[in-house]
Amino acid sequence: MAVRQGGRGGGWRSAVVATTALAVMAVASAAAADVVSVIQARQTHFKEIGKAAKAMAEQLKSPTPSVAVVQSSVKQIDALAPQLPSWFPVGSGPMSGVKTQAEAEIWTKPDAFKRDAAAFADAAHKLDVAAAGGDLAAIRTQAQAMGQTCKTCHEAFRQRDD
Amino acid sequence: MTDESSSSSAAAERLGRGRLVRVWDAPTRWVHILIIVLIGLAWWTESHDQMDWHIRIGCALLGVVLFRLAWGVFGAATSRFSSFVRGPRTVLGYAVKLVKGGAAEGGVGHNPMGGWSVVALLGVMAAEIGVGLFCVDVDGLESGPLADRVSFQAGRAAAHWHTVLFNALLALIALHLCAIVFYAVVRRDNLIGPMLTGRKRLSATPDDPGALKPGSPILFWMTAAGAAGVAVWAAYGFKV
Repeated sequence: MAVRQGGRGGGWRSAVVATTALAVMAVASAAAADVVSVIQARQTHFKEIGKAAKAMAEQLKSPTPSVAVVQSSVKQIDALAPQLPSWFPVGSGPMSGVKTQAEAEIWTKPDAFKRDAAAFADAAHKLDVAAAGGDLAAIRTQAQAMGQTCKTCHEAFRQRDD
Repeated sequence: MTDESSSSSAAAERLGRGRLVRVWDAPTRWVHILIIVLIGLAWWTESHDQMDWHIRIGCALLGVVLFRLAWGVFGAATSRFSSFVRGPRTVLGYAVKLVKGGAAEGGVGHNPMGGWSVVALLGVMAAEIGVGLFCVDVDGLESGPLADRVSFQAGRAAAHWHTVLFNALLALIALHLCAIVFYAVVRRDNLIGPMLTGRKRLSATPDDPGALKPGSPILFWMTAAGAAGVAVWAAYGFKV
C-alpha cells in the first residue's frame, strides 16, 4: 500500500530498503553461522572429553581394568584440556541467540572462568602422569580430583540440563 | 482369623458402621511404601550429588517395580491387572458418575480411573528406571549400570529422557495426590487408611465383595527373590 502511494519513487526507495535489509541480513547470518560453527566445535570438543572420561571411568570401575585404555583416554583429555579457554571466544555466549548451555558469566567473570579452566588442565595433566605410572589407586584418586574440577566449573559456568 | 473378622464385621454392621473388609494384601502395601520412600531418596541423593547412592536406589526401585509387575499377574485379586484395567466405556461411565456426584460407594480395589493411574505410574516408573540404567553424566564420570554398553552421546540422550520422564512422573504423582484429596473431601472416602492397614470399612452395600483372594505364597517368594536378585545384579553393573 505504501508503495502504491509513493508511485515510481516509492518503488525505487523500497528497492533500496529491501537491498539494504538483505545485505544486513546476509552479514548477520554470516556472523550467526560463524557463532554456530564455534559453538558446534566447542560441543564436539567437550563430547570428545566426555567420551574419553567415560571410557576411563568404565575401566576404573571394572573388576579387570585395562590400564592401556585408561592411559590412552587420559592422554586425549590432557591434550584437549589446555585448549578449553580458546573454545569460548567473545560473542559465543547465550547473547548470540544461538542455543548454548554456556553461561554469560564465562565472559563477565573471565578471571574466575580461566582459573577453573586452568585447574582442570592442571588436574588432567596430573592424571596423565599418574596414568603413565600405572598405579590404579593413584589413578583413581587423581581421576576423582579431576572430576571435581569438571563439577566446579560446570556448576558456575554451565547451565543445568533441563 | 477369617471367622473372627467376619463375626466382628457382622457386629459392626449391626451397629451401622459397615463391614470391615480386607482390600489390599501386604505385598501390595509394602511395594507402595517402598516406592514412596525410594523415590524420595532417589530425588534427594540426585539433588545432593550422591550419585553412587542414587544409582543403588534406582536398582532397588528396579527390583520393586519388577516385583509389582509380576504381582499384577500372580498377586491378590485387587492387585491383578486383570481386575483393574478396564475398557474405555467403563472408565468413561465411571468418570461421568464421578462428575455428577453419583452416590456409588467406592468399592473394593482400584476404581476404573484409578486402575489406569496405576498403569501410568508403573509404566512411567519402569521407563524412568530403564532409561536410567543407560544414563551418563555430563562429565562422563558417573553412569548407570548399563551405560558401558552405549556411547557417551547415547548416554547423554538417556540422561535427557531421564529428566523428562521424571517430570512426567512428578505430574502423575501430583494427579494421584489430588485424586486422594478429592475422594477424601468430596466423596468422604478415605483412600490412605486402607492403603496402610489393608482394611476398609464399607457402608452397608447390597453386594458383598467376599474375602480378598490372596496371591500364591510360593509365587510371592519366587518373584520377590527374583526381583531382589535383579536389583543386586543391576547394582553390580549386570556383570555376568
